[in-house]
Amino acid sequence: MVDRIVAAAWLLLTLGYAYVGSAYEAKFSYEPIGPRAFPLLLAAIAAVCWLWLVLRPKSVAEDLKGLPPGGFTKASIMIVAMFCYALTFEWLGFPLSTALASIVLGRFFGGSWGGLVIAGAAIGVSLYLLFDRVLDVTLPLGTVFGG
Amino acid sequence: MDDIAALMHGFSVAATPVNLLMALVGAFTGTIVGLLPGIGPINGVAILLPIAFAMKLPATSALILLAAVYMGCEYGGRITSILVNIPGDAGSVMTTIDGFPMAKKGEAGIALSISAFSSFCGSFLACIGLVFLAPLLAKWALAFGPAEYFVLMVFAIACLAGMVGDSPVKTLLACVLGLGLATVGIDSGSGVYRFTFGDVHLSDGIQFVVIVIGLFSVSEILLMLEQTETGGEMLKASGRAWFNLKELSMVKWTIARSAPLGFIIGVLPGAGASIASAITYMIEKNVNDTGKTFGKGDVRGVAAPESANNAAAGGAFIPMLTLGVPGSGTTAVMMGALTLYNINPGPTLFTDQAELVWGLIASMFIANFMLLLMNIPMVGVFARMLTIPNWILVPAIVAISMVGVYSIHATTFDLVLMTALGVVGYLLRKLDFPMAPLILGFVLGDMMEQNLRRALAISNGDTQVLYSGGITITLWIAAVVMLVVPLLLRWKRNNKLIEIK
Repeated sequence: MVDRIVAAAWLLLTLGYAYVGSAYEAKFSYEPIGPRAFPLLLAAIAAVCWLWLVLRPKSVAEDLKGLPPGGFTKASIMIVAMFCYALTFEWLGFPLSTALASIVLGRFFGGSWGGLVIAGAAIGVSLYLLFDRVLDVTLPLGTVFGG
Repeated sequence: MDDIAALMHGFSVAATPVNLLMALVGAFTGTIVGLLPGIGPINGVAILLPIAFAMKLPATSALILLAAVYMGCEYGGRITSILVNIPGDAGSVMTTIDGFPMAKKGEAGIALSISAFSSFCGSFLACIGLVFLAPLLAKWALAFGPAEYFVLMVFAIACLAGMVGDSPVKTLLACVLGLGLATVGIDSGSGVYRFTFGDVHLSDGIQFVVIVIGLFSVSEILLMLEQTETGGEMLKASGRAWFNLKELSMVKWTIARSAPLGFIIGVLPGAGASIASAITYMIEKNVNDTGKTFGKGDVRGVAAPESANNAAAGGAFIPMLTLGVPGSGTTAVMMGALTLYNINPGPTLFTDQAELVWGLIASMFIANFMLLLMNIPMVGVFARMLTIPNWILVPAIVAISMVGVYSIHATTFDLVLMTALGVVGYLLRKLDFPMAPLILGFVLGDMMEQNLRRALAISNGDTQVLYSGGITITLWIAAVVMLVVPLLLRWKRNNKLIEIK
């Protein structure tokens, strides 16, 4: 059932894409089909496919692969943690945000708090030195510290 | 003979200290990326690509690095397969079947060395194939007009839908999704901003690196969360470190059959290393399993998939370099690398960028030798990498992914978009959508649309141009065959299963 709901949501998204796409028009047209046709063609193909996934007979449908116990909560926290990491990347700077994110992410993979604090600090600092200093890939030190 | 001279010139490019260093670094990193379960060649290449770009490496050196990583992955995957019974990457799934039993019998050293040798033979054959086949194909493809190109890409998508994943509809959807993501940004044909919603960050389109790292790296980490198993225990690399002449003579015909077949499968768009190794293993089992030794630790069962997956990885370069249509997810990422450097992939690459192409091919020969030399004596060093716990490895991979994305435009926007795409990718993968076709669609999107529009502009809107030439008709027929034949085979198999029930 879940897969049908997801497919239906995607179908709506596809229709939205088609609706937005149908408005595009070139001011000066020097080619027959313009910027609108290709997105509409894609939307048509996608809509047919998603519709099939919504309506297909039960015999060929398969459900979402189950999550292990507590999997949903774990995955949700991890997703939030990754967004936080992305949002604090420039603000707290690479070494600090990476250390914090490493501690949170590492908890899901069986690290102990003590080990994670050391590993997090080590990952943050060593990758910063490796990329920023050795490999010349500029990384932020944190706008919050005026960096 | 021109090609041989060009290859010699390629060797002079590949032998500069920087490029030799890149091949070495790539081969070493690639082996590690390959052996770590969870991250495969696509992730490795995707993460290293922006870093190579940010380090301001020239295009040739960057491609040499990425190609060596790709080849190294096909070598590295086998180590985990043999010692832990978990495939290190998708191409080495079949290697577990006979590799792990060999290791259990105390013949891990033999399994590792014979598989390294098979990998070497596969890659070497693929390099030779590249030298002779690629220029021919490129010359032939120069005759392609926009209409032929458009149909060629339809053919590539048909190949994918027929062969990748269990559900052709889902594969097709993944492709279309990729094509759709490629329509975001300013339209080069008319200057209209499409699907940007007024956001300046999207006016250039979604960054290729953001898509690849989000869909592969981030979603992979989320999937890893579900693996409750901590991984089997690792066997020691016991026994003789080298295979002997008897074992070599046992596998010589296996390699002679599997490598060319793997190469051909690799050249076809869509079918990659994993399909090549599965098919060749099945063939060897049918041909040679007289004593019922397959699955219990037969050297031929290790040699077949390993020679095939390396040959397929090399073969996948051919459509990418000659047609600009990548043969696998990883070469799709490498094609993205070319566009990052403002190099247009396609048949003109061999004439316009001869130095780059031949330097790359020559370096693949060199990297292959490096990998062989690295992989037999240093196997213990690589195996030690498997003892790094996930709670260190995963945060490190996430951090390096972030660095990769950040290094392109240095905006938080890209990092957030990458994470969001990662969540979308995770959900799609939970529903059994394959991700490689999505990347392929994204890489091909702009080319496909522009070629379609150009073809129709030339014919003044007459769609007949898409199916009137000899080449286009052949490609349409080939596309239908690639789409229908696997479907029929699957249908037949399912019917058989029902009958048995």
